Amino acid sequence: MFYDLNVPYAQGDATLPRTLAFINELGYNVVALNHSIAGKLPAQISCAIPDPLPFKDLPPKLEIRRRVTLTLTESYQNARLAELARAYNILAVRPIDERTLQLACGSLDCDIISLDLTQRLPFYFKFKMLSEAVKSGKRLELCYSQGVLGDSSARRNLISNATQLIRASRGRGLIISSEAKAAVGCRGPWDAINLATIWGLAQDRGFEAMSKEARGVVVSAQLKRTGYRGVIDMVYGGEKPALSEIAGQGSAVKGKQQVPKRKADDGEAVEKPISKREAKRRKHEARMSGGTNPGTSNRDGPTQPAIAAPAESTTEETTDVQSAATPNSA
Amino acid sequence: MVRIKHRYLLINILYPDPKSTSGRPATKPGDEVPYTVQFRRPSPDRMDGGVLTRLIRDGVAELYGDYGSGKVAGSLQVKYFSQATSTAIVRVSRDYYRLVWAALTFATRLPNPVGQSCVIQVVRVSGTIRKSEEEAIRRARLSIRRAEAAAKSSNAATAGLAAATPQLLSTEDDDADMINGIEDPDDPRDIEEDLDDDEG
Repeated sequence: MFYDLNVPYAQGDATLPRTLAFINELGYNVVALNHSIAGKLPAQISCAIPDPLPFKDLPPKLEIRRRVTLTLTESYQNARLAELARAYNILAVRPIDERTLQLACGSLDCDIISLDLTQRLPFYFKFKMLSEAVKSGKRLELCYSQGVLGDSSARRNLISNATQLIRASRGRGLIISSEAKAAVGCRGPWDAINLATIWGLAQDRGFEAMSKEARGVVVSAQLKRTGYRGVIDMVYGGEKPALSEIAGQGSAVKGKQQVPKRKADDGEAVEKPISKREAKRRKHEARMSGGTNPGTSNRDGPTQPAIAAPAESTTEETTDVQSAATPNSA
Repeated sequence: MVRIKHRYLLINILYPDPKSTSGRPATKPGDEVPYTVQFRRPSPDRMDGGVLTRLIRDGVAELYGDYGSGKVAGSLQVKYFSQATSTAIVRVSRDYYRLVWAALTFATRLPNPVGQSCVIQVVRVSGTIRKSEEEAIRRARLSIRRAEAAAKSSNAATAGLAAATPQLLSTEDDDADMINGIEDPDDPRDIEEDLDDDEG
């Protein structure tokens, strides 16, 4: 599977289906449409790429993801970033100088760190910083299209920066993508890997960059959004066990109890099974009271809504003890 | 005599831009040429092996300067060019084939008598020309089948029938898959070197 995780998306672009069809033709399987934001985040964050896309002739076997690239021109709070991340499938940041690169590799929570490699960068890449980013799951992105289409100085900068980046990262944690604004800027996956090979990336690492690492980005970005504490996804959460009809309202059934702890408030009697002692007592009382109240007892019976059911049973028990005591004494 | 080893690059020339309206064959209105066919359309008439050679030489000179041009010039040759399928087989010396590959990747336009924007994709790198030829034939067959399937499905769509052809497409897409790499391993017969000739 080949991934191209950076296909710029512009609002009214009518050539997008053609570009996507071309990318599919070249052999890519998964594509991420990229929306760029620079400057202040809008107050209402929502995905700028419509779902589903308003075009009718998209290639059917091409999977499309939605990505946002935030150029780090100001300081951003992690909370707003998290909100932005939730609106899209993938969040990428674009640092512009060493301080923002440090921030991006360290404390910011993003999926991809993408740099504009066609500019002369005023700093060098350091292995420690990059490996810290890679260890926390972020990947560094190499975009080739602007060098391919651009002029001589863009090309020179791209080659120089890409070589430095590959050397500093020791070949790990990189992904390769086009940043092709038009179909003519896209290149086949093996062509891009060959370019990376010339710039110093070993061939198998280059292949990894295009397939395995890119897949890792997409999957871990998804897990960050749908997973929780090691749980990837809930496939079947079980069903609530069927309750006895009376016991419906307000009872927190843990699944084991057949009888709820709280008596129902609708006045319906919940018949607690009468203990033998209680039965004996009632019989005794009935005999004692001489038959005027056959069988009914005035005691706290099941008819009264008892909030503290355990407390009631204990009172019953205690009075049981007393009444059991009284016949003896009587 | 140490044999010079070559690499044969099989390349496709793809045309991402829509065809200019002049010279459009008369088609029924609403008859959409599927994208697959559009991208792999035949090359313009002025395009031939010589133009491609010039494109490569200029590209190598621009990227690698005189050093690259010198290293590559001895064995660079366009062995086969087909205008109809926009396919070519280019021979390069084995040590510098990546230079030529990069020059092809950086090419965005066909040079002046033709002047059309293009994308060049290398689909096979092999040590013998025979393997490249076989691959070219295989791919040509595949693309014909794919174009037929695409045309059938678009016709069915316009006629309102349920297209059962997407299944056809899916089995064939795997044939053109490049996931296992496009470089042929070295043929063991190519590697043997004649060491006896070093006595002087």
